[in-house]
Amino acid sequence: MGVNAQPQSAKSTSTQPIINLGGLGGRRRGPRGMPVEKARDLRGTVRRLWTYFRGQRRLLLLLFGLILFSTLIGLFVPYLVGKAIDALGEQTGVNFDLLQIIVTTLLVAYILDGVLVFLQGWFVAGLSQQTVLELRNATFAKLQKLPTAYFDRHTHGEIMSRLANDIDNVSTTIAQSTTQLIDSVFMISGSFVMMLILSPLLTLASMITIPMVFGLTRTIAKRTKLFFKEQQQNLGILNGHIEEMITGIEIVKAFNYEEQVIDDFAKINQQLCQVGIKAQTWSGFIMPLMNVINNIGFTAVAAVGGVLAVHNLITVGIIASFLSYSRQFVRPLNEVANLFNTLQSAIASAERVFEIMDQPEEAADLENAIDLDEPEGRVEFVNVTFGYEPGVDVCKNMSFTIEPGTRVAIVGPTGAGKTTIINLLTRFYDVDQGQILIDGKDIREYHRASLRKVFGIVLQDTYLFSGTIEDNLRYGRIDASKEEIREAARLANADHFICRLPLGYQTPLTESGSNLSQGQRQLLAIARAILANPKILILDEATSNVDTRTELQIQEAMVELMEGKTSFVIAHRLSTIRDADVIMVVDQGQIVEVGNHQQLLAQQGVYYRLYDNQFKNLAI
Amino acid sequence: MSFLKKYLVRYWPWITTSIVCLVIEAFCDLLQPTIMSRIIDVGVANHDLTYVLRLGGLMLLITATGAIGAVGRNLASSNASQRIGADLRLDLFKKIQKLSLGSLNKFDTASLITRLTNDVTQIQEVVHRMMRIFIRAPILAIGGIIMAIYLHPPMSLVLAVVVPIVASLIYLNMRIGYPYFGRVQKAIDRLNSVMREYLAGLRVVRAFNRLDYEADRMQDATVQLAKITKTAMRVMAVFSPGIRLTVNLGIAVVLWFSGYLIDLGSMEVGKTIAFINYMTQILHSLMMISRIIMMLVRAKASIDRVEEVFLQEDSMHIKADPVRDIPALGKVEFKNVCFVYHGAEQPILDRISFVCQPGQTLAIIGSTGAGKTTLVNLIPRFYDVSDGQVLVDGVDVRDYQLRDLRERIAIVPQKTLLFTGTILENIKWGNNQATEDEVIEAAKVAQAHDFISSFPGGYQTVLGQGGVNLSGGQKQRIAIARALIRKPEILILDDSTSAVDLTTESKIRQGLQQYTKDLTTIIIAQRITSVISADQIIVLDQGQIVGIGNHETLLETCPVYQDIFRSQIGTREAL
Repeated sequence: MGVNAQPQSAKSTSTQPIINLGGLGGRRRGPRGMPVEKARDLRGTVRRLWTYFRGQRRLLLLLFGLILFSTLIGLFVPYLVGKAIDALGEQTGVNFDLLQIIVTTLLVAYILDGVLVFLQGWFVAGLSQQTVLELRNATFAKLQKLPTAYFDRHTHGEIMSRLANDIDNVSTTIAQSTTQLIDSVFMISGSFVMMLILSPLLTLASMITIPMVFGLTRTIAKRTKLFFKEQQQNLGILNGHIEEMITGIEIVKAFNYEEQVIDDFAKINQQLCQVGIKAQTWSGFIMPLMNVINNIGFTAVAAVGGVLAVHNLITVGIIASFLSYSRQFVRPLNEVANLFNTLQSAIASAERVFEIMDQPEEAADLENAIDLDEPEGRVEFVNVTFGYEPGVDVCKNMSFTIEPGTRVAIVGPTGAGKTTIINLLTRFYDVDQGQILIDGKDIREYHRASLRKVFGIVLQDTYLFSGTIEDNLRYGRIDASKEEIREAARLANADHFICRLPLGYQTPLTESGSNLSQGQRQLLAIARAILANPKILILDEATSNVDTRTELQIQEAMVELMEGKTSFVIAHRLSTIRDADVIMVVDQGQIVEVGNHQQLLAQQGVYYRLYDNQFKNLAI
Repeated sequence: MSFLKKYLVRYWPWITTSIVCLVIEAFCDLLQPTIMSRIIDVGVANHDLTYVLRLGGLMLLITATGAIGAVGRNLASSNASQRIGADLRLDLFKKIQKLSLGSLNKFDTASLITRLTNDVTQIQEVVHRMMRIFIRAPILAIGGIIMAIYLHPPMSLVLAVVVPIVASLIYLNMRIGYPYFGRVQKAIDRLNSVMREYLAGLRVVRAFNRLDYEADRMQDATVQLAKITKTAMRVMAVFSPGIRLTVNLGIAVVLWFSGYLIDLGSMEVGKTIAFINYMTQILHSLMMISRIIMMLVRAKASIDRVEEVFLQEDSMHIKADPVRDIPALGKVEFKNVCFVYHGAEQPILDRISFVCQPGQTLAIIGSTGAGKTTLVNLIPRFYDVSDGQVLVDGVDVRDYQLRDLRERIAIVPQKTLLFTGTILENIKWGNNQATEDEVIEAAKVAQAHDFISSFPGGYQTVLGQGGVNLSGGQKQRIAIARALIRKPEILILDDSTSAVDLTTESKIRQGLQQYTKDLTTIIIAQRITSVISADQIIVLDQGQIVGIGNHETLLETCPVYQDIFRSQIGTREAL
């Protein structure tokens, strides 16, 4: 974008696709033991999140009720089945009457359960998506108010990840995981209660496995956490290597570096493989060992149950029920740990989103801000000092006055602070010290929106969006008529090529307008600025990428356009500079020389040296 | 798919072990319900405690065996999948590095990176899960059916009804659910794209005050996404309970029938319990199978993408016996060169012919898209000509060994690319045998030494993410130093001083002239001031040479050159 003091290296802005519907209503499962991102302030964040869910309180209550109800049914069923088994196994022959009642009740219970679970899924979908929507809209609204500096400091990929991935993680996961968590908690406690009711002795027997479970998870979790962390690190290094070597593949080839690059890759790759094997193997211990432990529990129950049955203290049906309940007790227990992790990561996502919400906003318009109507276009800098980073001043005590209608060329070595002047004029950044006045008033006294209407900007990076050419041009002035649009395009020499396109002005542009050439995009950007017909023009090397012949024509049109307007042009091209009314030579944040072309040459200073370089080799 | 076979075959010992362990594991799982039913029917019913304990011990033994099987299987499949993943990644990387630029251009850089990272990981995951579930699920399903039939043939008729219903529900789920997945993905892409555009053009959005407009666009995209996700989730919400209900109804039916059968004496209670267990097991296996199929479908996309790269045939043919030992002088000649991009209609370069003698400076100027970069890319043979010849030191570049050819040439491309590492390491990319003195010398000529020395870390300053960020001009100068240290015979500068101011640029030019008098320099530039002092200037317009000669000659004779001069400098009179 060319207006940073510290240009960032290009970063890829890709985000990974999000929403994983998880197949047949299953949950997202990572490998067991995968370390999860922990939330920093669990309670605080949860409380904040609650405000977003609070609007759907009634729905939440309904959901709660559905879960409760279906859990109750879920607890009731094994009891019924047990009774049925007893009815089957009665010494006096099958008790058909009882059986009939039980089976009918079971049928009703099953159908009810099915309906309840379906309703749960139905409402969770609505609940979670509504929350996503609200959260996303709120975040975007906040983004709109953030100062430009925030966007310069964070990569696009990062911001997008928060808006897309993190928000999705928050609402979908929270909605689904919370229902599962509540379900599991009910199941666990309910099953436990039923187990106690059925037989305290058997319950005791099945509890011997609990300490085993803890021991197992503790020892394994320690190892797997370590391995997974190492795996992630290696993956990060590998990915970085890949990105560099593929983006820079031309250099690799040009410098005959292919073999070296491949060797480096192979090394990192091998490391990743080794640690991956370790991580996966260790995490794969958990399930089978859990199974063994569970079955030990079952055997204990069967043995003790058998003893009790022998002494006629218990029926077979009760044993069957008990086994069922204990399975219903153990299974969620295994999953609660996992659920907790998923929730933790969702809350960590929420924290990242709230980080955006907590950013300080761009200084709002003053209470008594006025609109800049009928602008004349007088610009004044009064002792302006500014730096992007504290302590590093890019502009130092800069002062100048530009009368309306002046054409100003800003020149100077790279990084000297030329684009910063633009950043300050348009209030993309605010000055640290000093004032900027337009038409005699400090720009902070105007409504930002009204201030920006005064400027027409053509930057080095054209911004065109996916829409028709006409839509893009209308960006300059939304209420422009078709004739006005065409006229602006004609002045910018864009009409010619637009008419050549199959769909003319209705031609849709791809994202960032990449189906046009660089030069054509520049022309559209200029047309857009022309249409806006601003009082103050700002051009940042706008014409450097355009066909030479066309460039001549644009320059002529621009001269027309600049008539009566104040314009600031940052250019390296001598012709642009030479024709300016005022040339400002900026060096190291200071304006070192001001004047027109002849005056500056006579001074034999910085400008003279710059200019001289151009003509040293011109054999005239 | 076929490229995968190679890897599966390579690691067949691991895979076979994994399968064997899997079978053991599944077997043990299958036996458990039967044993439990025996415990109850024989042990508990007959009050035979020793029997209970004995069979209990047996069950534990079987569980333990199953566990060993599971652990073994996990070890084997982890090894197999990780190694396959690693091999696949390496081979894919090698393939990408070895492809010519022409072939590579068919792929978008970001997509190549995704293929190497996400797609390979997907394939690796699938291989791992396949071994775990794919073999296990059918075994359990079929085994379960067999055991159930063995337990009590007549009762298994219930299965004959329940299983097909469940199977069709699962199938319906996939048929109906899968298209939604695609639609959700599209909505996500749309959201991302709106977001991306907004972020990229933030300044223009704010400058033109289009905040409300953008807010509407965003709102549109988010609402769309929320709607389609909600619908998709709801559609999915139907099936899971539906399947469970079917199986539960089956259980109720089993209980009912058991009543009659037990009464008739042809069935025992324990068997009923076992039967119910098997039915649940079969259900789970069916659901597992459906999950695998979904996984495979998603993996297929990844597999196709990886395969696409492997199938790329290199469009550039390297000669089997290249010409060797060609003296390096630095002469470049183009003979009637034409170049057309693959699939394009118009040629980018049309009948280009010129000679550049050793030690000369050749400048190429022309409008954007005229073909300047393409022209110089032909010299180190990044692309092959469509017609005509490119000769370096008198030999057609196609007859060279690539390495040999590229040793003579150093290129500073339009877009500067530096890598993470120290400044020293970056410059030494040009020649990693260079001494530190040579590095400093090259940096001095490139006018980079001063600013490098001004950094606290000097040449050890780390560049890149987490390191220092350089301005465009500084990066370009380091890239020039990187090229110079190579001591090439031919130096190609592709608009490499565009971000450098005029004073520095002319100093670089002077430095270059002194660095080596025999250096053939080919410069592409937009600014006429950069080309004015060249020995020979080529003016390109729409792929053709419209003027060739030195500055004075062109100013007299070439209209295009005159236009360029006028637009940048002004008319001569004004000077």
